[in-house]
Amino acid sequence: MVSRTLLESFSTESGRYVELVHVLAERALVARYRGSILGVYWSVLSPVMMSVIYTGIFGTAFLQYYNNSYWHYALAVFTGMVTFNFFSGATSQALTSVVHNGGLLNKVKLPMSVFPVAIIVANCFQLVVGTLPLLAILTLWQTQNPLLVLALLLPLLAMVGVCLGMGLLVSGLYVFFRDLPYFYEIMVAVLSIATPLFYPPEIIPPRFGVILSLNPLAVIIQVVRGIVLEGVVAWDLMGTALMAGGLLLLLGLVMFQSWRSHYMDLL
Amino acid sequence: MTEAIRLDRVTLWRRTQEEFSYDLKRTILNLLEGQYHQPIRKQILHEVSLTIAQGERLGLIGANGAGKSTLLKVICGILSPTSGTLRVRGSITPLIELGVGFDPENSVLNNIIYYGVFLGFKRREMQVRAAEILDFAELQDYAWVPLKGLSSGMKARLGFAIATQVEPEILILDEVMAVGDENFRRKSQKRLEEFWQRRHTTILTVSHNLDSIRDTCQQVIWLDRGKVRFVGDSKEAITQYLDESRHQFDQTNHATDRPSD
Repeated sequence: MVSRTLLESFSTESGRYVELVHVLAERALVARYRGSILGVYWSVLSPVMMSVIYTGIFGTAFLQYYNNSYWHYALAVFTGMVTFNFFSGATSQALTSVVHNGGLLNKVKLPMSVFPVAIIVANCFQLVVGTLPLLAILTLWQTQNPLLVLALLLPLLAMVGVCLGMGLLVSGLYVFFRDLPYFYEIMVAVLSIATPLFYPPEIIPPRFGVILSLNPLAVIIQVVRGIVLEGVVAWDLMGTALMAGGLLLLLGLVMFQSWRSHYMDLL
Repeated sequence: MTEAIRLDRVTLWRRTQEEFSYDLKRTILNLLEGQYHQPIRKQILHEVSLTIAQGERLGLIGANGAGKSTLLKVICGILSPTSGTLRVRGSITPLIELGVGFDPENSVLNNIIYYGVFLGFKRREMQVRAAEILDFAELQDYAWVPLKGLSSGMKARLGFAIATQVEPEILILDEVMAVGDENFRRKSQKRLEEFWQRRHTTILTVSHNLDSIRDTCQQVIWLDRGKVRFVGDSKEAITQYLDESRHQFDQTNHATDRPSD
């Protein structure tokens, strides 16, 4: 009987999970870039413009930290911006994902974590198509070393871990606290200042240095900058970054699952 | 006789509606003032026990808020019982209206595929079946139209076509059969009849349309405020249910009439 084979061929839970993430990520991307895939490149436009403006305003002041090169400063701002924007965009979209699909969750049994995960995956696609080629070109331009382009994937992997963990956390919390977007926006704004995006990390007074070491985004951005600008892979920082990504992912998963029994009463 | 679904003393407690939208700000302030309290819970289902055989057509009746939809959610696995056990043999396909969880801007074809994947089928499988689905729903010309371009009747037809095209073992119909024109209704009744006779599909229907329940279901469960009031022959169940509601109506009418006397 057709239905038997059809169902049996699809009995594995993990297979179903992958299909769901695929479909939901596709749906998110289709909704965002209706009509034109070139829309992906709009996401690069804003950091390019910001880099130009920051270079104009702060470039001269910080020049000594960047080999006396405006180009280096602009590159440092650009790499920082794209990495940070990936984090803030992906997690803010993930935040509302479970609640937005509450209607569907009330009709069909679905593993709830697919919604934030699919949003992060959709943003990864956007990163790989839009930003990554640009970073790769810049790395090749600066270092003439194709191996470093591959090394670039490791800090981004750490970033994906951070985003998945954070996305699971905030999307789960949003079920309980519907004013969370407001607080999260403030948190992201604070984080954007506490992360050396447009200023050199060297200017932070030593007693506040802890801000940098506790901020996984700062560590990841430092690794990315090392690769793109200097052609150096900072393996110790890389280790820290990957570990932070893994830990946050674990934390997100554990918390999301532990709250899960309450979700359906509140959706 | 094989069992398809078995519920054994299923009890469900849920948080009450008043607790639904609290916010972080208020929670933090309450915590600071030391007035945190456990969320209030309410019992929705009281020790519901029932057995549904494979190939049975079962109707679920009861007043609004009696817990019919909640019971279906428990059977689908959306809500887990607070106590008691649930056993389901076979795949469950809920027939849901196209609307929730669908992207009105996206094409009908894509929405068919998404819907199928939500129900537990492979994308590739759905791509193959999409043509038959559009065929049955008589929407062949609408594959690339955005979903929002369909009328509500068309959407209902499409929803029915998808849920039944995937050949479910247990089909759940929650107040959805009342839509579509006469022609389509006949067509869908025929398809359900076919499923039931040829494939022994178990069909669970929730409806306030007692006539259609009487016509299509052999067994009826009457739920009353979360408790099973009656299980058995559909005619008997409906008669009792109607008597009870008439009785209640009379009582409340007397109660409201009296002050005006």
